[in-house]
Amino acid sequence: MTPVVEMRGVTKVYRSGSSTRTVEVHALSGVDLVIYPGEYVALMGPSGSGKSTLMHIIGLLDSPTEGQYSLGGEPVRGLGEAQLARIRNQRVGFVFQAFFLLPRLTALHNVALPLVYRGLPAAERLKRARKALESVGLGDRLDHLPSELSGGQKQRVAIARALVQEPDLLLADEPTGNLDSKSSDEIMELFDALHRQGKTIVMVTHEPDVGARAKRIVRLRDGKVADGGMA
Amino acid sequence: MGMNPLENFRMAFESLWGNKLRSFLALLGIVIGVFAVTAMISLGQMATAGITQDLEAVAGRSIFVQPNFNEGQDFSSAPIREEDLQALQALPVTVIPQLFTSIQYESKPGERRSMQLQGTPGDLPKLDPTNKIARGRYFTDLEARGGLAVAVLSDRAAKDLFPGREAVGQVARLYYPGGARIDLTVVGVLEPPSGIFGGFGSSATVYTPIQLIWNTSPTARRGEYAFVILPLKKGADAQQVTRQVQRIFESRYGKGKYQVQSTESFQGTLRSVTLILQALLGAIAGLSLLVGGIGIMNIMLVSVTERTREIGLRKALGATSGQIRQQFLIEAVVLTLVGGLLGVVLAAGLLLLITATVPFFKVYILSPTTVFLALAVSALVGLFFGVWPAARAAALDPIEALRYE
Ligand SMILES: Nc1ncnc2c1ncn2[C@@H]1O[C@H](COP(=O)(O)OP(=O)(O)O)[C@@H](O)[C@H]1O
Ligand SMILES: [Mg+2]
Repeated sequence: MTPVVEMRGVTKVYRSGSSTRTVEVHALSGVDLVIYPGEYVALMGPSGSGKSTLMHIIGLLDSPTEGQYSLGGEPVRGLGEAQLARIRNQRVGFVFQAFFLLPRLTALHNVALPLVYRGLPAAERLKRARKALESVGLGDRLDHLPSELSGGQKQRVAIARALVQEPDLLLADEPTGNLDSKSSDEIMELFDALHRQGKTIVMVTHEPDVGARAKRIVRLRDGKVADGGMA
Repeated sequence: MGMNPLENFRMAFESLWGNKLRSFLALLGIVIGVFAVTAMISLGQMATAGITQDLEAVAGRSIFVQPNFNEGQDFSSAPIREEDLQALQALPVTVIPQLFTSIQYESKPGERRSMQLQGTPGDLPKLDPTNKIARGRYFTDLEARGGLAVAVLSDRAAKDLFPGREAVGQVARLYYPGGARIDLTVVGVLEPPSGIFGGFGSSATVYTPIQLIWNTSPTARRGEYAFVILPLKKGADAQQVTRQVQRIFESRYGKGKYQVQSTESFQGTLRSVTLILQALLGAIAGLSLLVGGIGIMNIMLVSVTERTREIGLRKALGATSGQIRQQFLIEAVVLTLVGGLLGVVLAAGLLLLITATVPFFKVYILSPTTVFLALAVSALVGLFFGVWPAARAAALDPIEALRYE
């Protein structure tokens, strides 16, 4: 079976500072990671260990300084900006800690947003968005603005926005970090359900009980995989 | 793949509508700029039309022939003769020869003032409809040929000669500068010229038969006229007939002795003067557009900074840099276009108000070309001043934008 994510020796170095004195931060050094379709992986580790950086590289928002990375069997090295954008649009669904909903759009239009960049007609976009919202239990909140929704509901809208893309991979960066424990449980149950439906999920978290729901835990320490990199 | 460009317009409207107050303030510069440019251009066109109409009412479509004063000629060295009139009869014009001389009247016992005595054919209003009778009548062709002592007064002359009295029916007592006296029975008074020419066009003139001046003036020579007015017949081409008249006088007397002018050439001069004025005012108004454009750029830059999150999110969801650039460019263009539209509407309102209240502006002109130009320029301003903010939005790194602090 072709892995969804296949990384070999991925390194990410951030350079900052002036021309006379540059500071190098090795956010990732030599990461090997393989994730197969249908897996539910928790990415854990202390703050600053490189979890978000790894997630951004997996989701093609960032590129490795060194090493090989293939998404769905396709090497991403050398792809142009527009090609990366297209792959993001069709194969990767993001869920962020801070939801990142557009405040002036209704839940329905927020969810339909990724489909705008596929050139789908408006009616089709809204039809699919409605279905996605119904699948996360928000069929009765279509026309609500984000400000009219609770934190848990906002995150469910964000998940619906990722689902509407029908991605190969769901990437969630601390999706419960901004939620109370009751909403957290609801969101985690939603991810469990998505996993049962066969979705591939990678979730960054530093909460052990959240990580415990995943079927596999990858631990990062100082930019290296300490545990669980290979299935 | 790829998105419908209309989608960007819809998004632009949504985002501008979501920020009504700011959008409106950003628009203001463009509104004022487009308003100024549109109003300037249209007012210029309306002024030209107004002056042209006034001129036509005063002078009609005519050709004038007179001695070429620029070349040192005068009424005695270059008079217009009977045989010249014969030659002119062949052209599509009415031939109205005229003669004038200075005359005096007694304003108070012992005090004499000058006015103009003008000899014309009879029934002048029929020959040249720009002359209109206010009271009484014009002297007839028969009276003119007979050289009868009759007169028609200009509005001013009637007031000067018979202050506070009805002039028609009175006898005007006039003196040639040499001393000879003539008594003329006033049979009519003319209407004052209309429009802006009314102010300076109404000179004190006494109209009388040419024959009478020839009979009585110590200086006028029988068979010679001072100038000739040639109102064009319907359908006659002013330029072509002007050239024909010129040729007649040149072949008889050589170049430079007579001056031939048409009201049309005068209008041409007028038009080029207003065009220069329009261009100048337009340029000044254009400056306000520039200022408006810089305002748009400023607002767009603020908007890009404020919407860093949104831009990062859109990129994460699959927007290319090109699509982000397009979105912000279209936002800028929609902003300036709406501003331009408001500016045009305001200008249209002002022009309507001006035509309704200022008598000089008789016709309302807002040409489709002006409207199209105004809108095209506003769109271009948006495009031009939107380029930099849009480029900044497109260059934004989504990771930086989405970093949650
Ligand atoms: N753009 C950047 N420039 C410099 N250093 C960065 C940048 N992004 C992340 N880092 C550094 O890389 C390391 C890993 O960051 P991150 O992936 O956000 O960690 P985590 O998500 O596990 O908390 C940190 O030391 C962080 O300061
Ligand atoms: Mg992080």
